Amino acid sequence: MIFGYLDAGSGSLLLQALIGGLAGIGVAYKAMRMKYGRRGRVEPDAVEGEVDTAEDTALSTES
Amino acid sequence: MISPDPGSFRDPASRVVLDGERIVRLLDERGLEGWRALAGTDFFKSAVSEGRLIAAVEIDPPLGSAGALEHPRLPLISYPYEWTYSMLKDAALLQLDLLEGALNAGLTIKDSTPYNIQFVEGRPVFIDIGSFEAYRQGEPWIGYRQFTRQFLFPLMMRAWVGVPFQTWLRGDLEGLTPAQMARILGGKKRFNSGALLHVRLQARMEARMSGRAVREDLRTAGFTPELILANVRKLRALVTSLDWEHGKDGWSDYGSCDHVSRDRDAKSEFLRSAIGRVGPDRVLDLGANDGHFSTIAAEAGAQAIALDSDEAVLDDLYRRSAGLSLSVVLTDLGNPSPAQGWAGMERSGIIERARPDLVIAYGLIHHLIYAASIPPREVLRWLRGFGTPVVVEFVSPADEMVAKLVGNKLPHELHGGREEGEFRALLGDFFEIRSERKLQSDTRVLFDLDPR
Repeated sequence: MIFGYLDAGSGSLLLQALIGGLAGIGVAYKAMRMKYGRRGRVEPDAVEGEVDTAEDTALSTES
Repeated sequence: MISPDPGSFRDPASRVVLDGERIVRLLDERGLEGWRALAGTDFFKSAVSEGRLIAAVEIDPPLGSAGALEHPRLPLISYPYEWTYSMLKDAALLQLDLLEGALNAGLTIKDSTPYNIQFVEGRPVFIDIGSFEAYRQGEPWIGYRQFTRQFLFPLMMRAWVGVPFQTWLRGDLEGLTPAQMARILGGKKRFNSGALLHVRLQARMEARMSGRAVREDLRTAGFTPELILANVRKLRALVTSLDWEHGKDGWSDYGSCDHVSRDRDAKSEFLRSAIGRVGPDRVLDLGANDGHFSTIAAEAGAQAIALDSDEAVLDDLYRRSAGLSLSVVLTDLGNPSPAQGWAGMERSGIIERARPDLVIAYGLIHHLIYAASIPPREVLRWLRGFGTPVVVEFVSPADEMVAKLVGNKLPHELHGGREEGEFRALLGDFFEIRSERKLQSDTRVLFDLDPR
């Protein structure tokens, strides 16, 4: 496999699939299942960084 | 003698070096493969002929390189933090258009930084041929995050929040992170789909997914280039919708000031005479405002660099500059863009890049002396530092504009050397006067100077 020199950001890569529409949502779901199993969720202890409460609330329907 | 371009080192597949005045791109095996994939497409030929992509000619590579290309030399390298709003927006749209064209030709662009775009005769041109490579099935758009950080978020910041992006881009060469942009937006644009997806959701997903590779998972899951194209189309619509309406603040109305309209013809004639005497290839217009004098230099056959700190007037000038050999640079002469980035050399200072043969300092030095409190001697020492002839407008303390600039400063709080006699004495330390002309107002004198 050939890697680029640029850090693409995993969240940003996955987001591209979601932005791509219905077919992309399926791709993102499959990729998450492959990575994290059936629930397709990151375990709580893996969460890094911090997003303020207002953003969490605003995004709760998206995640 | 070959010397590496200090700003070209991040991509191991492609690196620019300077061979005297020639611009040469050295390629390794992977870079050569990418070039060959690009060079054979109609997309490449049409993008070059339309002036959207820089020309490239394959030349014999030196020892140690798999391939080499030669590019035409550009009139000036400028950086996004020296661009106006419309320049960054045009550059963003070019980046998206080229990515769409590349994907349709079976290629991709592996990064998305405005440093890969320059302006030639008022139009953006993509200069990093090494960014193109064959698209590999299942690959997402690696440059998406960089596009948002260095193009989209700065435009959003200006259009939606009213904050200039240049200071931020100058302070952080990587641009704004999604989390920073989310905080800058605060409660604004809460229901805008572009803000929701590219800012808030990206910030959240970046925090959740940090350090977890998903590139291979996406490929295996069936990622397709159509998903990138869908994203590109949405981003194009979003960028197109972003608008910055600048009013008549700053120096937008400078051209209608009494002294400007009264003296403009005499100053134009004096400048033409100096250009005729010096015969410059490059003219640097310091405090260019609406670009009237830069345009005279460009029309006289020189490459003009119009430098000013007022984004509104420069944005208007940029929009009028198509087809003119005129480069627009937004920077404050009290604090011009410095050398910075890796090792303090990745991005050079604007004064170093300008390399003029003639400097215009019309309507400038009284601003430096009275508003920025730079001593007249230091202003002249700095102008002498260019090592070129300089056309200067001296403005005496009795001038109406000086009264406005002095504001609440008391006479003893101002530097000496402001009176015409004192100023002439200082001039003699640094320059020889070739010619001079008193303007109608009697408070302003033009000098055509040679460095001593």
